[in-house]
Amino acid sequence: MEIRRDFHEQLDELYAETLRMGSDLLEAIERTRLCFINLDREMADEIIAGDDVFDDYIDHIEEGGLELIARQAPVAVDLRMIIVIMRMAQHFERVADLCEDIATAVKHIPADYLSLWIREAIDEMARRAVRLVERSIECFKERNVEMALELDAMDDAVDKLNRKFFREFDRGREEDLEVAVRVVMVARFFERIADHAVDIGEHVRFMVEGTISPGQGTGQGGA
Amino acid sequence: MSGNGDGNKMRIKNLTMFYGDFMALEDISLDFASRRITALIGPSGCGKSTLVRCLNRMNDLIEGSRVEGEIILDGENILGAGYDVISLRRRVGMVFQRPNPFPKSIYDNVAYGPRLVGMKDNEKLDFIVEDSLKKAALWDEVKKILKRSGQSLSGGQQQRLCIARVIAVQPEVILFDEPCSAIDPISTQKIEDLMAELKKNYTMVIVTHNMQQAARVSDHTAFMLVEEQGQPGRIVEFGDTNTMFTNPTDKRTENYITGRFG
Repeated sequence: MEIRRDFHEQLDELYAETLRMGSDLLEAIERTRLCFINLDREMADEIIAGDDVFDDYIDHIEEGGLELIARQAPVAVDLRMIIVIMRMAQHFERVADLCEDIATAVKHIPADYLSLWIREAIDEMARRAVRLVERSIECFKERNVEMALELDAMDDAVDKLNRKFFREFDRGREEDLEVAVRVVMVARFFERIADHAVDIGEHVRFMVEGTISPGQGTGQGGA
Repeated sequence: MSGNGDGNKMRIKNLTMFYGDFMALEDISLDFASRRITALIGPSGCGKSTLVRCLNRMNDLIEGSRVEGEIILDGENILGAGYDVISLRRRVGMVFQRPNPFPKSIYDNVAYGPRLVGMKDNEKLDFIVEDSLKKAALWDEVKKILKRSGQSLSGGQQQRLCIARVIAVQPEVILFDEPCSAIDPISTQKIEDLMAELKKNYTMVIVTHNMQQAARVSDHTAFMLVEEQGQPGRIVEFGDTNTMFTNPTDKRTENYITGRFG
């Protein structure tokens, strides 16, 4: 007989809300990718305005998590899940901020600036970042540790692309230094998004197995 | 004083216990670390109290009860033939669920044990009473009313008086059988603080229905369970309290402490 049904229902609801936040976030990253590829300023404004949604999500999820900890004294897998849910929400919120940063950069890049090479290189990174976040949310949803462990290797590929991009980036046009920096930053922001996915995977591992991997607490893995 | 030379004050080895034909506990093995608090948790009827009562042979008083296995205290099997049960009860004291002060003065409650073993020197008795009441964190509240009846105190104070009464005979191990289930939350907190303080000198075992209490006060936790009605109580999992409450190994432990069954 389950005796803490109310509590577990509330926890399930918090979990479901985190998944909704993740799903909305995934859509936002994909839109951010398109926004950059097409240098779509209108879409950039929408993305910037849309960031509020994620702030609301995190406020609500953190409040819910704190309330459950304060009132229900959760232990074992329940405690780990609440901790991980609150961490996930933070990662999601930071990824949303990175999307906003990318959108802001887009507004300052002239329409004719992006060569086909730059566009393709960043698009490749962005696509991979989207896939990483998608996978990380999936492994949270399915409590799948094996899947979480694969994220690291996927992220290594993004890091490599980022370094390659930086090496080969055409710095010839000195007069556009500010724009050039913005473009480099966009590449870097997508790379950071992928890092967050790796951290999420580590949190999932903690949630399922209860083991803490080194450096997990800071949430600054990868790079 | 880590009695068995391995950091364990007491060790239960393959203990099986019967009430008549009924097997109440089966094959219990458990170590109680010296100067640590070990909590026994589990649903009602799982044998926690029965087990803790084996540790000072309180069950001897129940007709038809019988045990197999060993309980080692400082290297000696307390279940062995000819073991001095009176001295055992002095070395292994017990605090019960309901505070049970004698219908005597506060002073006489605490002095009862020492007098029983022949102490007559009033000066020494005064010292022991004061010292025990201080160790039980009750002295300041009762030092001016030592002649008043122990039963006139509040429930929480009565429970601390009972702890002082146990301390007065200088035990080595203190057993607590649901010590806070009949008292209010503030008194509960006082008893818990007191236990943390007593840990410097005593090995303690606490049976509690309050899992959060086990999580707060104990160093080690054993989870006991009766798998199906009519079966004996067994240890499901025993470990470091921190691990038990963050990442228990056994699914049954997890289900119990998270309230997925009760």
